[in-house]
Amino acid sequence: MVDILYNAVMKPLAFRNFCLGAVLCLLASFAAADELRVGATTVDITPQLPVSLDGQMALRVASKIETPLEANVLVLESLSPQNTSVWVTCDIVTIPTELLDLIRKAVRARLPRFNTRNIMVNASHTHTGGVVRANWYPEPDSIVKVTDYQHFIAEKVAEGIENAWKTREKCTVSWGIGYAKVAYNRRARYEDGTARMYGKTDGDDFRKIEGYEDQSINTLFFWNPQGALKATCINVASPAQIVESRYTVNADYWHPLREILRKEHHPSLVILGWVGAAGDQTPRPMYEHSAEARMLRLRYGEPGQGNDFRTDVYLKEIARRIAECVNDTYRVVQKEKHENVTLAHQVLDLNLPMRPVKEEEVVEARKMQEEDLADPIRATQMKRRIAWQQEVIDRFEMQKTIPNPKYPVEIHVIRLGDIAIASNPFELFTEYGVQMKARSKSLQTFVVQLVGPGTYLPTRYAEEGGHYSAIVQSVRVGPEGGQLLVDKTVEQINRFWP
Amino acid sequence: MCQLPNNKRLNMSAGIKYTHIYSLVYHLFCLTLGPVAFSQTLQIGWATTDITPTQPVLIQGQFHARLSEGVKDPLTATALAIESQKGGQPVRVIMIGLDLISVADGLRDNSNLRKEVRERVVKAIPELKPTDISLNATHTHTAPVTSLRSAQEIYGVSLEEIAGGKKAIEPREYYYFAAEKIAEAAINAWKNRKPGGVSYGLSKAVVGHNRLQVDQAGKSLMYGNTSRPEFSHIEGYEDHNLNLIYTWDTSRKLTGVVVNIAVPSQVSEHLYEISADFWNETRALMREELGKDLYVLPQVSAAGDQSPHFMWNDKAEERMQKLMGLDKDGTGRNSMGRRLQIARTITEGVKAILPYMKENIEWDPIVAQKTENIPLSRRLLGPDDLATADKETAEWKPKYEQMLAEIKANPDKTKEKRWYTAITIAHTRYRRGRSVHERYEAEKRNPKLPVEVKVIRIGDVAIATNPFELYLDYGIRMKVKSPAVQTFVVQLAGGGSYLPTRRSILGGAYGAVPASTLFGPEGGTELVEKTVEMIKSLW
Repeated sequence: MVDILYNAVMKPLAFRNFCLGAVLCLLASFAAADELRVGATTVDITPQLPVSLDGQMALRVASKIETPLEANVLVLESLSPQNTSVWVTCDIVTIPTELLDLIRKAVRARLPRFNTRNIMVNASHTHTGGVVRANWYPEPDSIVKVTDYQHFIAEKVAEGIENAWKTREKCTVSWGIGYAKVAYNRRARYEDGTARMYGKTDGDDFRKIEGYEDQSINTLFFWNPQGALKATCINVASPAQIVESRYTVNADYWHPLREILRKEHHPSLVILGWVGAAGDQTPRPMYEHSAEARMLRLRYGEPGQGNDFRTDVYLKEIARRIAECVNDTYRVVQKEKHENVTLAHQVLDLNLPMRPVKEEEVVEARKMQEEDLADPIRATQMKRRIAWQQEVIDRFEMQKTIPNPKYPVEIHVIRLGDIAIASNPFELFTEYGVQMKARSKSLQTFVVQLVGPGTYLPTRYAEEGGHYSAIVQSVRVGPEGGQLLVDKTVEQINRFWP
Repeated sequence: MCQLPNNKRLNMSAGIKYTHIYSLVYHLFCLTLGPVAFSQTLQIGWATTDITPTQPVLIQGQFHARLSEGVKDPLTATALAIESQKGGQPVRVIMIGLDLISVADGLRDNSNLRKEVRERVVKAIPELKPTDISLNATHTHTAPVTSLRSAQEIYGVSLEEIAGGKKAIEPREYYYFAAEKIAEAAINAWKNRKPGGVSYGLSKAVVGHNRLQVDQAGKSLMYGNTSRPEFSHIEGYEDHNLNLIYTWDTSRKLTGVVVNIAVPSQVSEHLYEISADFWNETRALMREELGKDLYVLPQVSAAGDQSPHFMWNDKAEERMQKLMGLDKDGTGRNSMGRRLQIARTITEGVKAILPYMKENIEWDPIVAQKTENIPLSRRLLGPDDLATADKETAEWKPKYEQMLAEIKANPDKTKEKRWYTAITIAHTRYRRGRSVHERYEAEKRNPKLPVEVKVIRIGDVAIATNPFELYLDYGIRMKVKSPAVQTFVVQLAGGGSYLPTRRSILGGAYGAVPASTLFGPEGGTELVEKTVEMIKSLW
């Protein structure tokens, strides 16, 4: 009887339980939502003086530090499945490939089994940070060597990653979206169809601002186990280049913004500054200058410098606008803290078609190069511009043997809860970022540019208009590659939401 | 603040006596004049009237007819009267903001609400000229049809049929009602004039979004799904500046705000209820935060290609509206949640610069104005346009006629709720095609049409009106050439009609097709140039 009962009841029950357990284990291995552990830290990457500054055509040597430069680091871990994702923002102009390699190598030295591929490093695009690109400018003996600065940054960032990893703790996360007028499309179009970056808009031939602006500010907030704000990621489609021509070290608007937020919340708040698709944007106004300048004077009591917005007071103003938006979003979303979230991080290596060089463009490049080379002093000062033209010539030659050259890029696509983060290495024109956001299935999509060496990626319309940022010298990958970048990015994002 | 001037020490007894007398006279002088211790050449008056229809009406804004099924919130006419006697030269201006879709101005037919209002006001206040009075509409899509044309003429079916025999009033009846009420607001504002001051400033409010998307082939579409793979980019620009004028009484109390923003008020554009759209919530919130008696005069800047709708991120925005606690009556695209969100954004923008505005009041600014009728080149139609129009007529005329025959055969159908939707769409589309032909003939006689443009100067501010749904780029072009520190472009100071850009015409979306536009880029450039010339003449 017992045997009958056992066979009739227990065995099927056991079998059922076994199956159930197996299914649960299987599900657990795919289980996306999981406890999130986060470590965060800020490291100082201010260079020693004197140091050359990166971002303009001519060499600039800084003899003064106006603000510190930072790298802000977030390390995220989910346990089941085990997954890590590291995000680093640096107050520099771009992230050259060699710098990324140095960072990853330095991390491996400290954390040998760490997944260094899932390290996403972006630049704020400040044009008043130390040079991080070797052989771009003349290097007088008296200044900090570029390679030394690269190693310095790599070690500091690796130290930051290690510290963040070792101090990671269970955290919750919130996300939100707000708006602030911070981005100004910086390309003016004229009656004859030409375009000009920072072109004058008060002439009779001005017709329109060329392209779109994305004023959305997507934000992430990470909360420690006590519910206090630990870190924030701010995605704004406007590069940090208000004071871009100075001969001083300056983190641009990120510095006053971080000051405001740290004063409001706490001094050790880790703040990651992600620049959105903003290759055609600037934080400075393109029109209504008098009205804008007047408002600065009324608000800050400072006389300003006419209609020149490359000022400390304007840094404060942009920082204020962003901070108010971020704080407003913070107040709204803090009631919704997510504990168990999906963390997934994919790194894709794409080969994008390079923008071909035309013969007439080579002729023009040679001509401009010869003009700079004609005077020895000018040739030294304009080393960067001469190299800029030379790259065009070299690419044209390369096309003779490799007719359809490709440009390798690394992109990161990350899912965190309901949001997606998608990186690219370019100064990506805003329209591409909008396409990604519109076509993405995620609730919010954070597009992060300059996770890599830069170069502009303009739209077809911008190319037709010409001028810096849309001409062959500025561009490695053109609209064909841009569309492929969008398609591949969207494809990967949407895989996270089947 | 009045302060005692430093006095030299005088002879003790006589000195003290004279000092006291001097002090007394000085304080009496200050008390009499209050904080404004100079000549009061500026007089400011505000008034509002309710222009909500008292009976069911036809609502304007969609291709199909809509008979109103109630009042969600009232419609308002807000009038600001300014009189300057600076230099002994009187300058008189009345600006009226209206919760209407447009201001009929005689351009399309003989309906001319602007003229009707002006005549009434000038009759009551003979010292005013008709052109001292300007009217502008917020473009709410939930206000009555304001026209002398009948329902039959506009929609191809009678009002009685549309209403199914229930009570409703013809557009003409509302037209005259509105004219009376709007004029009343202007007259009352004029009568309410008192000494006051103004300040102006530039704030920010990200509310308007360009509503045209372009696909990979270069074709434009209004609204539509931007998540499709064919989506390439948003067609045009946006302007998130908030141009503001604040008015103050002599005790520095805020009395009103002129809010100029590049977005039309059409969140709830499909409703069958009367509504001022987001201006209702915006006025309410501004009054809650800045004073219950605050007047708010809304102006829409050049925004023919703009809307308050998001072109992507709908879900994220809906979520934010919920988290903000704006979800009581719905969230999302056409919702009250969105209207409340806009009200919040605009109010924050107004408040953001208020302290600086209070510190910088002008009591004696230069006030000037000029109004001209400018001949603008029509958008000339070509054989292709006629062919497209003929095709539209050929498609929709038979549909309309068939539906009409069905109604005649089955009159009981008119008792069904909203039975008239399909037939009025058919008539609108059929009529649109026919009107293109009529225009084609008219253009041969008159390749130009006159439109009224008004410019007003108040201190360092220029206000420049036009009658169109003016694409944003034209507004920017006016602003960059204007000598004013701030330039408020005001669209829909007349009957509407889109004025698109060349790139939009190439894209071919609604708003840029010939049937929607009396004028094109050539006329747009003429408008910009003439407006700038008029502004410059005031500086």
